[in-house]
Amino acid sequence: MAEQHSRLQVFTSNWQAAALLLPTLALISVFLYYPFLETVQLSFYQLRVLGSGEWVGLQNYVQLFESGAYRNSLIVTILFTAATVTASLFLSLIISFLIHEANRFTDLYLVAAIWPYAMPLAVAGIVLDFLINPRIGVVTWAIEALTGFQFAWQTNGALALVAVIIAAVWQGLGYSIIFMTAAFNQVPDSITDAAKLDGIGRFQRLFRIYVPLISPVLVFLIVIQTIGAFFGGFALIDLMTSGGPSNATNVLMFNLYQDAFVNQRFGYASAQSVVLFGFVAVLMYVQLRVTDRYAYYGGA
Amino acid sequence: MSIVPDTVNERLSTTTGDSQLATHGALWLIISVLILPIALAAVYSTQTTNAVYQITNVFPGSALVENYTTVLFEYNFGQYMWNSFVMATVVIVGKLVFSLLAATALVYYDFRFQSLIFYAILFTLLMPLPVRIVPLYQLMADIGWLNSFAGLTSPFIASATAVFLFRQQFRSIPASVVETAKLDGIGPIQFLANVLIPMSKGMIAGVTAIMFISTWNAYLWPLVAIIDRTNQVAQVGLRYIQGTGAEGFVQWNLVMAAGILVLIPPLIVLLVARRYLLSTLGGGE
Repeated sequence: MAEQHSRLQVFTSNWQAAALLLPTLALISVFLYYPFLETVQLSFYQLRVLGSGEWVGLQNYVQLFESGAYRNSLIVTILFTAATVTASLFLSLIISFLIHEANRFTDLYLVAAIWPYAMPLAVAGIVLDFLINPRIGVVTWAIEALTGFQFAWQTNGALALVAVIIAAVWQGLGYSIIFMTAAFNQVPDSITDAAKLDGIGRFQRLFRIYVPLISPVLVFLIVIQTIGAFFGGFALIDLMTSGGPSNATNVLMFNLYQDAFVNQRFGYASAQSVVLFGFVAVLMYVQLRVTDRYAYYGGA
Repeated sequence: MSIVPDTVNERLSTTTGDSQLATHGALWLIISVLILPIALAAVYSTQTTNAVYQITNVFPGSALVENYTTVLFEYNFGQYMWNSFVMATVVIVGKLVFSLLAATALVYYDFRFQSLIFYAILFTLLMPLPVRIVPLYQLMADIGWLNSFAGLTSPFIASATAVFLFRQQFRSIPASVVETAKLDGIGPIQFLANVLIPMSKGMIAGVTAIMFISTWNAYLWPLVAIIDRTNQVAQVGLRYIQGTGAEGFVQWNLVMAAGILVLIPPLIVLLVARRYLLSTLGGGE
């Protein structure tokens, strides 16, 4: 990244520059770097009460890697993430493509498709929690009336995971559609017209022509959505399943929250934070290598 | 006169014509499915608690005013929404002001370690809340900020994303505009207020909308940092109202009303600012 500042330089005072940067640097030092470094330090301690503990070296990490519960959380998180990202990107691709193909009402369709981006995950969670409630939910009732299938997700672990995945996909669609629509709009009309003249079917056109053309955006979305799913399912799990039944939806984030703020195992929870940091670092690195678009627009 | 032969035009338009009906049909279907849960929630939010427990009753009820009043005043959603609103406002104003100042320094000054400082800010993208939550909680407890707006908002105000976006935006402003300002000999704050901000309105609007939505929708940190219910935000308020009937009898009509209330502000922001939001997120590069 070659930086060309000389042409733009308007001001010369170094102390002015320092003053302009001071608020941001002070805030990131106190509320980002310090707690992050402190997390790394705490992960080597055992603490029952915050503020005092004893150095235990790598014990928290050893415990973590030997823990069946943590391994379960890791598997659940990977399943949740893989299913959410795959379903969400596939559906967004189809929806964005249809919007791009439509000859009229495209602005209307776009707004009607992206609004879930504004929906709080907590709202997605409680609304679905009621609508697919196995005893009184109208959707579960309709599914059973039509197909005979009992969507008993409150007692069946695999179905519980399906339920939170549905909520996550629903809420996450808008974000991907925003980026894909922008990417589709940059595909030259001449390519589309040429493909039509060659008589290529529309879904072939989507997967053989558009998908390769917008692949940088797809990679960006895969990484961002993976990070989002790794960290973001918390409100859904907390409101819909509380990690159950039998830990079937106990994702890493929920496990961390429980260990830190319910079980008060602060050192152990910090070790989990460090492992999560490892995951973000790897994903961000992949993204940096593949695309130059590295702003993260997600939650915090 | 078109230089394209008629047969070609015909072929283009018929292919399009054939598929248009299917395209529109599919879109209406998909959009209906996306909206249906919220539409149902809105209907349920007008029913009485008895009606909401009759599974096949999906018709508007008579308790609209009563439900929303109960949620707003008895279940304190008026207070929670106000708290969310104050939190979002503080975070957005803080983010905008500090990021604009930082971006100005990063683009229009030339000093040692400039790139290093930029990358140090950018590196905080690797530190989302979950990787610093325990010490952050401890820090807030130590300085007495738990349960306060200061504790609620301070971890979110520094923003690598906003600094990054404004830096990009400033670098896209033509050098000629900057040169003029330079000749006028104005100071940095004047330069920011008179030149940079007016030329970055779209970006500022987009960032504001994105930040409002993400701050309003924050759940984990308010859950951890706020203990006293009167200081709680709307997202966690949903948890309270859903939990009130834990003994087996949840008043789902009230829960749905609360959900609709919490959804409205970010939805309005999305609708009003969609143009800026779309260009800030999807546009650029």
